[in-house]
Amino acid sequence: MSGVVCAIRGGPHSQPTIDKAISLAGETGLPLYFLYIVNLDFLAHTLSTRTHTINQEMEQMGEFILLAAQRRAADQGITAETVVRHGNVGEEIVKLCQELSADYLVLGRPQLDDEEANVFTNARLRLFVELVKAESGTDVILLEGYER
Amino acid sequence: MSGRAYATLAAVLLVLLAGLIISFTHGTALAQESQPDGRSEMVFLVTGTIVDRQNLPVKNALVTLIDGATNETLAEGITQPDGRYAMNLDRPVPDQIIMHIERPHFHETDIELGKEAIQTLHLGQPVGVPEVVLARKVTPAFWIATLVFVGVLVLIATGTLHNTLAALLGMAVVLGVSYLGEPINNGLFIFYFQGALAYVDWNVIFLIMGMMMVIAVVERTGIFQWMAFMAYRTSGGRTWLLVIILMLITGIASAFLDNVTTMLLMTPISVQIALALGIMPLALIIPEVFASNVVGISTLIGTPTNILIGSYAHITFTDFLINLTPGVLMALLGLIIYSLLVYREDLSTDGGHGTSDVLLDKLAERAQITEPEHLRKAAWVGAGMLFLFVFGEHIHLIPAVTAIIGATALLIWIRPNIDEMIEAVDWTTLVFFIALFIIVGAVQEVGLISFIAELIGQAVGDNLLLAMLAVIWLSALLSTVIANIPFTAAMLPVVAFLTATIPGASNKALFFCLSVGSAMGGNGSLIGASANMVTAGIADRAGFPITYAYFFRKGFPALLITVGLATIWLLIRFLLLPS
Repeated sequence: MSGVVCAIRGGPHSQPTIDKAISLAGETGLPLYFLYIVNLDFLAHTLSTRTHTINQEMEQMGEFILLAAQRRAADQGITAETVVRHGNVGEEIVKLCQELSADYLVLGRPQLDDEEANVFTNARLRLFVELVKAESGTDVILLEGYER
Repeated sequence: MSGRAYATLAAVLLVLLAGLIISFTHGTALAQESQPDGRSEMVFLVTGTIVDRQNLPVKNALVTLIDGATNETLAEGITQPDGRYAMNLDRPVPDQIIMHIERPHFHETDIELGKEAIQTLHLGQPVGVPEVVLARKVTPAFWIATLVFVGVLVLIATGTLHNTLAALLGMAVVLGVSYLGEPINNGLFIFYFQGALAYVDWNVIFLIMGMMMVIAVVERTGIFQWMAFMAYRTSGGRTWLLVIILMLITGIASAFLDNVTTMLLMTPISVQIALALGIMPLALIIPEVFASNVVGISTLIGTPTNILIGSYAHITFTDFLINLTPGVLMALLGLIIYSLLVYREDLSTDGGHGTSDVLLDKLAERAQITEPEHLRKAAWVGAGMLFLFVFGEHIHLIPAVTAIIGATALLIWIRPNIDEMIEAVDWTTLVFFIALFIIVGAVQEVGLISFIAELIGQAVGDNLLLAMLAVIWLSALLSTVIANIPFTAAMLPVVAFLTATIPGASNKALFFCLSVGSAMGGNGSLIGASANMVTAGIADRAGFPITYAYFFRKGFPALLITVGLATIWLLIRFLLLPS
């Protein structure tokens, strides 16, 4: 297996990342996978036990965001598959790249107010790119200043 | 009945009668033995009440009657929760009696009983000692408890520790200092474990637990997704109408469920509707969270702060409905107009990507009641609970009992996976409340709350209008930076003091002011309410981050509008209309 993995969160900042992944899939002819990861870290300081329903709701929201991306790809003649995972964002991206033996991973580069609040801070991103390459052999394409 | 049977019955009766006579005479003899000086009919009873400077009863004070000549202890008593004590002298009454009162965190006090009182005692008549006011003493424990309380508020506000962990840490410190510090220095004592537990309001704990179980059933039925989709359908593509309907749904749901749960369920589906319509999701979810914080206070069970206030001040479900709902409706109307104005551009579908039929089809596909049977049963039980909340107060049925009865009935009726249901109860929140009660109890015990109450009391004097404005706006503004649950818990004794001392405040107006201020104040900042944080978290995961600055820009004007309108109502209700 091989392909282009595009990890997205949704929102206007994701659109250039999605477009880049679609064009890359078109150029290379590789299958395209949009990935959304359900991560409930934001509940860490309020709720911690009632995650069952929240997980379901977030999964449905993720599927919806991916569906929108899938439609965008379809409009450009590209068939894309969608994948929703639960857990740590970085770990799940690496896992999927490994499972698919992905050729490319398309990521947006964060524009963060709070450097500590996100797994994809600029400092950590470099380490993460190296990790993805080392763990899965996948090339990482970063779109500067788009994805949050 | 045979003659033999009659004889047996008569014998049994005789034995019983004999036993009765023996026990009576023996008891009398014992009583007489205990009163060898022939004073068997005399009662040397000394009673009275001890209060603090806020005129609140002082419980657990040790009152000792001492013979003024010999320093011998004559009798001892402990004050009850209402501050009363009663002691019986079991020996001859001396000519001089000193009443010694001691209690941690108060100055020790000695009072000499007057000659008239001693004469009365000599006559065997009870003596009522005039009310004694104990003065507070600032001990090292005062500063420790104060620092712990402030520290917990800071830890919660900054998110350094989980709310529950922060509260547990605070509880551990106040108890640890009491037990480990007291042997070193008496002034470090705050309270013992039993004393700490006395501050835990179990009515609140069980009410929240019962409601959590009911909510756990309701939230899995898909009702919120269905209602949100019906809102879209009803609006017919008119986004302004969609916002209004979603605000109403969220508000009404928040009046019966907790705000965090409501927003956890409403936010994801609202994001999906917005994406399908090609509009900015924040234009839907920010007005929803505003509505949730405002309308939640209509009922006793709508917000944790109302549960705290209702339990402490004995304010019933109906009281909240009658006294707050008109103000809430006024505030909601103002909020709707404000939201539509603020988000008028974001609600426009002209500049967006337009409506997506594929996404709308997906929405329609998902908008189904997934567990209709559970929903039907939950509706019946919910209606029964509502009935008991409203009418149960006539038979002194406390809300916690109603919640437990309702939750148990529902669980037995639907027979869910009990492990899942137990998991659905947010135990960390319950532990948070228990620890919080103990921390607030600590600052109450050492006198911080009395000190604050005295300051506010001096500032507002006897002016109820001023007191109402102070409580509403102080709590609203402070709730933007302080977690409103600990704030409300700490303010309850303060408001109780003001209610007891300000003429005309006995209608509990100030408690309703606290309810409005602490809940609606949550709209002023992102950290003002847990529902805000949860909503922001979900929106961020959908790629629409809500920053502190963004929320403040939208939320603070909402606070001014809603609290302003609610203030007008409260002033009309409690100053102009008859109570």
